[in-house]
Amino acid sequence: MINAEQLEKAFNKPGSGLFKREQVKAVKEVSFSAADGSVTGLLGPNGAGKSTTLRILATLVHPDGGTATIDGLDISADVLKVRQQLGFMPHNAGIYPRLSARENITYYARLCGLDKAKAQSRVNELAEQLEMTEFLERRAMGFSQGQRTKVALARALVHQPQTIMLDEPTNGLDVMATRGLRAIIKELAMQGHCIVFSSHIMQEVAALCDRVAIIANGTIAIEDDLDGIRHRTGHDDLEDAFVEAIGAAPAEVSQ
Amino acid sequence: MKALIVMYKEIIDNLRDRQTFFYALLFGPVLLPLIIGGSLVASFKQFAIDFDEVTELAVVNEQAAPNLLAYLYSKNIDITTAADDVEAAVRAGDINIALEIPTEFGEQLRKANPAPLTLYVNDADKDSTRAARKISALIGAYKNTINSLRMQHRGIDPQVFNSIELTEFDVSEDGSSGQLIASILPFLFIMSMIMGGFYLAIDTTAGERERMSLEPLLALPLDRVDVVYGKFGATLCFVVMSSCLTVLSIYGLFQFFPTELISGGLRFDGSTLVKAFMLVSPLTVFLSAALITVSAYTRSTKEAQTYLGLMMIVPMAPFFLLQFFSLGASTWSMALPMLSQYQLLEKVVLQDDINTLHVFLSVGGTLLAGLLLLRLATKLYRRDRILM
Repeated sequence: MINAEQLEKAFNKPGSGLFKREQVKAVKEVSFSAADGSVTGLLGPNGAGKSTTLRILATLVHPDGGTATIDGLDISADVLKVRQQLGFMPHNAGIYPRLSARENITYYARLCGLDKAKAQSRVNELAEQLEMTEFLERRAMGFSQGQRTKVALARALVHQPQTIMLDEPTNGLDVMATRGLRAIIKELAMQGHCIVFSSHIMQEVAALCDRVAIIANGTIAIEDDLDGIRHRTGHDDLEDAFVEAIGAAPAEVSQ
Repeated sequence: MKALIVMYKEIIDNLRDRQTFFYALLFGPVLLPLIIGGSLVASFKQFAIDFDEVTELAVVNEQAAPNLLAYLYSKNIDITTAADDVEAAVRAGDINIALEIPTEFGEQLRKANPAPLTLYVNDADKDSTRAARKISALIGAYKNTINSLRMQHRGIDPQVFNSIELTEFDVSEDGSSGQLIASILPFLFIMSMIMGGFYLAIDTTAGERERMSLEPLLALPLDRVDVVYGKFGATLCFVVMSSCLTVLSIYGLFQFFPTELISGGLRFDGSTLVKAFMLVSPLTVFLSAALITVSAYTRSTKEAQTYLGLMMIVPMAPFFLLQFFSLGASTWSMALPMLSQYQLLEKVVLQDDINTLHVFLSVGGTLLAGLLLLRLATKLYRRDRILM
């Protein structure tokens, strides 16, 4: 369960001077919610503020303004508890190439507080669930994108978090791998997890999500279920609805 | 506890990296002492005169001075007959050194006149000058004996001509060559420590950012302090490992060192090395912290390599400072990391007394500086910018 209210975050413009700093507002007034047992899509074009929003929720960067709670825990106050509730997979798998898939996942399990025996049984369980037994003992150097994503997903799930956030997880995956990942995500939602899923592809979100928050220029332009979005934008075609929604967003900041 | 998990992972991960392995366990501890120490040993061997060694001397007109040649022969000089053109032969390097004895040598000696001798030397050739120094010293001693005999013959005490006897007393109990070697020891230690942690520090901080593996790691339920301490611990392990190996290889290297050729009480036995190692050991903490901090500041491995490459100059600074200006060991300088270790190690190697306060200051100052750097690294890790 995620509740975000009026989140704000500005960054120094890269290359701006030491004394005269120019700032870019990556996120301004982002409010949305995501319920347990459902998949919420965070949809927006590149540079809209999807990743920054997810990073704020994952307690990786501090918001300049606004608040958010995850399962009722404040992301600024209960940082470690929030992280215990949260499984976060950034848009790059970021796995260690010199470690095997098993070692990669075990490392995260141990850091999340599982003892050695529990960590191993959890890794075996995840390997079964994500169909990765075949390459579990191999070193990650030379893994395919699909294999890397599976390892990264397993790492995010290793401590059985209630809330799961996936930043563009289908990037670079082929059709079969994407289908497999969708099935896993749906399965996790069925189990009662709260899932947030960011993407810039409308079809991707349409195939998977119960609710969609469309983000453009750092602001939530529209938040509703798929039918609601069709209805409110007046477009039956979801892609047209997406374009309409982005265009409707106030264009104060151009990137 | 979580810091230990991070540390263990980083060690395993980096032991699998050939580059880290090579620099930490081979380049710093073995190759560097070999290159620097080896060339030093070689240059000392070239510079030093060994009176037990047999030297060949080409002589023109041997029969003119049989007594002198017999004396030289008794001092391990092999006499050979010189070629026709001695000058050219010495210049060409066919022979190292040649002595020309004029026919009137014996007669001049008998008349108590100065008896002439000519020594052909090639000053551009180290072997030739070394041989010349040896022959001159031997002939000088022979001359002194004859001088004494001549004076005694005339009823004069030879001591009359010895009006002043100057004795040089070096209070530091060392020679300059000993000092040079003594300052190379801390240099080798510090360089091997930096090389030991260099790649691991880069890989675990800047490398992790570049690989995009830092973001999911920091999203885990652990404090960023644990991450910093874990990475610091892994770096420290490699630095300590590297410096222990350096002790062994320096010990091995100095078994070949011609210590009798160096003036002063220079010693390189096991206990000296152990003492020296104990005194530099706080630097492992300081240098590991410095490596971690610098690479935490940088955005990519390439940037980290540039910054840390510049950092390599820092350990050389005290080395050159102490070479060019003789900075005395003062209380304030003993609180400075690196400079204090240079000064203390020099004393250990030269068998000087070591002030206990100085040791405390050196250890305390170095550890404190290391802790401050670690705090700085933690601060850097707490910034949002670490993920940008």
